[in-house]
Amino acid sequence: MGKLIVVFKREYLERVRSRWFIIGTLLGPAFLLLIVGAPKLMGDRSDGSRDVAHIDLLDATKDGLGERVANALRARYPLSRAPYLRTVDPSQLPIEEDRSVLRVQRDEVLGALVLDSTTLTGDSVRYAGRNAGSHRDLDAIRNVVRNTVLSDQMTRAGIDPKRVEAFSHIRLDMHVRKIGDKGLETGNPIAVILLGYGVALMLYMMIVVYGQAIMRSVLEEKSTRVAEVVVSSVNTDTLLAGKILGVGLVAISQVVSWIVLSAAALIYFPQIMRGGGGGMADSTDAANGALSSAAGGASAAAALVATGLPSVPVWAAVALFLCFILGFIFYASLFAAVGSMVNSQEDVQQAATPVMLLLVSSAVFMGPIMANPTSNLAKTISMLPTSAPIIMPLRMTLVPVPWFEVVGSLAGVAAACAASIWLSGRIYRVGLLMYGKKPTIRELAKWVKEAR
Amino acid sequence: MSDLAIDIRNVVKRYDEHLAVNDLSLAVPRGSVYGLLGPNGAGKTTTIRMLLNIIVPDSGTITLLGSPHRTKGLTDRIGYLPEERGLYKKMQVRRVLRFLAELKGVPAREAERRIDEWLRRLDLKTPERDWGLAKVDELSRGMQQKAQFIGTLVHDPDLVILDEPFSGLDPINAQALKDAIVELKSRGKTIIFSTHLMDNAERLCDSVCIIARGRKVLDGGVAEVRKAHSGRMVALAVEGDSRAGLASVLGDRTLVARVDDHNRYYEVELAGGADAQQLLRRVIDTGVAIQRFELVLPSLHQIFLERVGARGVEEGMTGHG
Repeated sequence: MGKLIVVFKREYLERVRSRWFIIGTLLGPAFLLLIVGAPKLMGDRSDGSRDVAHIDLLDATKDGLGERVANALRARYPLSRAPYLRTVDPSQLPIEEDRSVLRVQRDEVLGALVLDSTTLTGDSVRYAGRNAGSHRDLDAIRNVVRNTVLSDQMTRAGIDPKRVEAFSHIRLDMHVRKIGDKGLETGNPIAVILLGYGVALMLYMMIVVYGQAIMRSVLEEKSTRVAEVVVSSVNTDTLLAGKILGVGLVAISQVVSWIVLSAAALIYFPQIMRGGGGGMADSTDAANGALSSAAGGASAAAALVATGLPSVPVWAAVALFLCFILGFIFYASLFAAVGSMVNSQEDVQQAATPVMLLLVSSAVFMGPIMANPTSNLAKTISMLPTSAPIIMPLRMTLVPVPWFEVVGSLAGVAAACAASIWLSGRIYRVGLLMYGKKPTIRELAKWVKEAR
Repeated sequence: MSDLAIDIRNVVKRYDEHLAVNDLSLAVPRGSVYGLLGPNGAGKTTTIRMLLNIIVPDSGTITLLGSPHRTKGLTDRIGYLPEERGLYKKMQVRRVLRFLAELKGVPAREAERRIDEWLRRLDLKTPERDWGLAKVDELSRGMQQKAQFIGTLVHDPDLVILDEPFSGLDPINAQALKDAIVELKSRGKTIIFSTHLMDNAERLCDSVCIIARGRKVLDGGVAEVRKAHSGRMVALAVEGDSRAGLASVLGDRTLVARVDDHNRYYEVELAGGADAQQLLRRVIDTGVAIQRFELVLPSLHQIFLERVGARGVEEGMTGHG
C-alpha cells in the first residue's frame, strides 16, 4: 500500500506540476467561453444577418406582391439596407435570376427572392443567397412573405385591412420543455443535448488524452531503462495500478478545475458581455432592432448554462462517475500494455491502433445516437463494454434509461475492466523488461500465458 | 541468523529452449565483496533479476539475508544498479532520488537529508551550483551516473547488487565507485557485482563465481581459487633469440596446453598430466639460457580463459546475460 502511494504520488504530482497541465486547465474554460460567447460577440451574424433585407426582389406575379413584400421588409428591418425590387415578366425570369446571381457574387446584394404565381397561392417561394445556411435569416424572409401573402388573401376575403395589419404582427415564441419519467423536467432541451454531448465528448477526450499519457509514461520508463530500478523495488502490478490511479486522478482534477473555473467565468460572464455588447452598439451604426438583445442574449446564454441545465439525480451522477472511472481503467490498462510492448515512439502509435479504433468507433456513434437516442442501435452500443463508458452517459442525458440497463452496462464494463487489467498486467510484467523487436501476436499470447 | 547474505540453491531458469540459468548454486558470505564473472550471455543478469524478484526461477530456492527472497519488504534492504542505467529524464534530480528512496520505505524527510549528504559527497551540490534542482536530462552523462549511484545507495541497503557497474564509467566515477564499494564493505554491507573485467574483480573481490552458459564453472575465495589453479602456470623467461628451439617444446600439446607468448617472456599453462619438472628438463635440453622458470599463481583472467575458454566467450549469447 505504501509503495502504491509513492508511485501514485509521483505520477500525480509530476503531471499536475507540468506546464501543459496548467495551460490545459486554463484553456478549457477559455475555450468554453469562446464557444458560448463567440456567437453573441459576433452579434447577429450567426443568429441572422443585420442586412437581411438587402436582397434582390424578383416579382413575376404581375400582382404587385413584390412591392408589398418590399414594404414589409423595410418596415420589419428598418436598420437593414433596403431591397431592390425588379418587376419582371415570367418568361424573362431565368435571365433575371442569372443577373441576380451575378449581383450576389459581386456582393451587391445578399441574395435573391423570387416571387411567382405559386407564391400568390401561398405554395412556394424561392430564395438563393449568401446566407442560405442561416435558419434565422430564412425564417425571417419566409415570415415576411408569408404574412404578406396572408394579409393579401385576407384582404381579398373582405377582412378589414387594419385588422389584417394587426394579425400580421403576431409574434409567436415557442417555449419547449422535456417530459421525463417524473413528468415535466426543468431545463432547456437544447441545454440537455449540449450537456449530453459535452459529457460524452469530455469522457472520450479524457480517455484518449490520459490513456495515451499512460502509454507514453510506460514507454518512457522502458526506454530510459528506469523501469528496471523501479521494478526491483515495487512489483509491476502495484506500479501499473499506481500509474493508472495517479493519471486518472489528474484527469479528474482537470475536469473538476474546468468546471470550477467555467462556473466562475460564467458567473462573471454576463457582466463581460454587457460591457462588450454595449461597446459594440456604440460603434456600429448599422446595428438593427435586435440590438438590445445582445446583452440580453449573453445573460440568456449564461442563464441557459447556469439554470437551464436539467437537474441530474444523484444516482445518475454516480453512474456517470463510475462510467468514467471504469472506462478509464479499461482503456488505460490497454494503453499501458501497448506502451510496454514496444520500444520506440515510432512503433507505439502503430501498436496503439487497435485500442484507438475501439475508442474512435464508440465516438463515431455519438452523432446517430444523439439523433435517435431511443433506437435499438443506441441501446446496443450503450450496452457494449467498449463503448458503454462513452455512450451510456450520452443516452442517459438525452432520454430516461431504465436503471437495470445502466447497472447491466456498468457491470459489463466492470467485467471488461477486470479482463483488461488481468491481460494488461501480464503483458506489462513481461514487456517492461523485454527489449528488441516488437512482439508478434503469438509471442504476446505466450507472454500472457507464461507471466507468473 | 544465517551468515550468508545470498544463498542460491539449484536455481533453474529457462526461456523457450534456452537454459539461461542451469542448476546454479551460490553462497555469498555476509560482509563480503562477491564477483559474479562470466562472458556475455552466461546468465549473470538473469541470476541478478531472480535475486531481485523481478523474474521468478522455474525451480530452486533463493534466500537473501536469511529470508526467502520473496519475503515482503526484503527488497527494501537491497540496492540495485542495473547494467542499463536511466532515470526519469524530465524529472528534477532530487525528486527522482526521493521517489527511489520512498519506494524503498525511507520517509520523505529522512530521504531529503540523505540525498543532500550524497549530492555534496559526489560534488553534485557545490556552493556554485545545486544540480539536485536541475532536471535529469540537464546533467552530463557522468553526473547522471552519480545520481543513479545515489539512487542505489540512498536507502542504506544491507545488500548491494551491481550489474556491470564499471561499464561506461569514466575513470573518475570508476574510482568513486571502487571507493564506495570498499567503504560499504567496511560498514559490514555485502556487495555482489557482475563483471567481465577480471582485473577489477581480482582486486576488489573477496570471493568470486565464474559462470558460463548458465552453469557455475567454479567459485570460492579469490585467493583459494588462484591457489587451486597454481602448479599449472609457469612463467618462463629466456635469454637471446631462442624462439626456434623453444617452439617445438611449447608446441608439444602433451606437455603444454596453452602459451601466452610475450616474445621473450612466456606464460605457459601445463597440459593435463604433464608436470613442471618435465617441462623444465625439455627446455634445458633445447640449450636456451633460462632467466626465469617459476610456478606462478594464475590471474583470474587466466583461470577464466582456462576454464571457460575463448570458445565460451565467442559463443556467448548477446544481450542480457
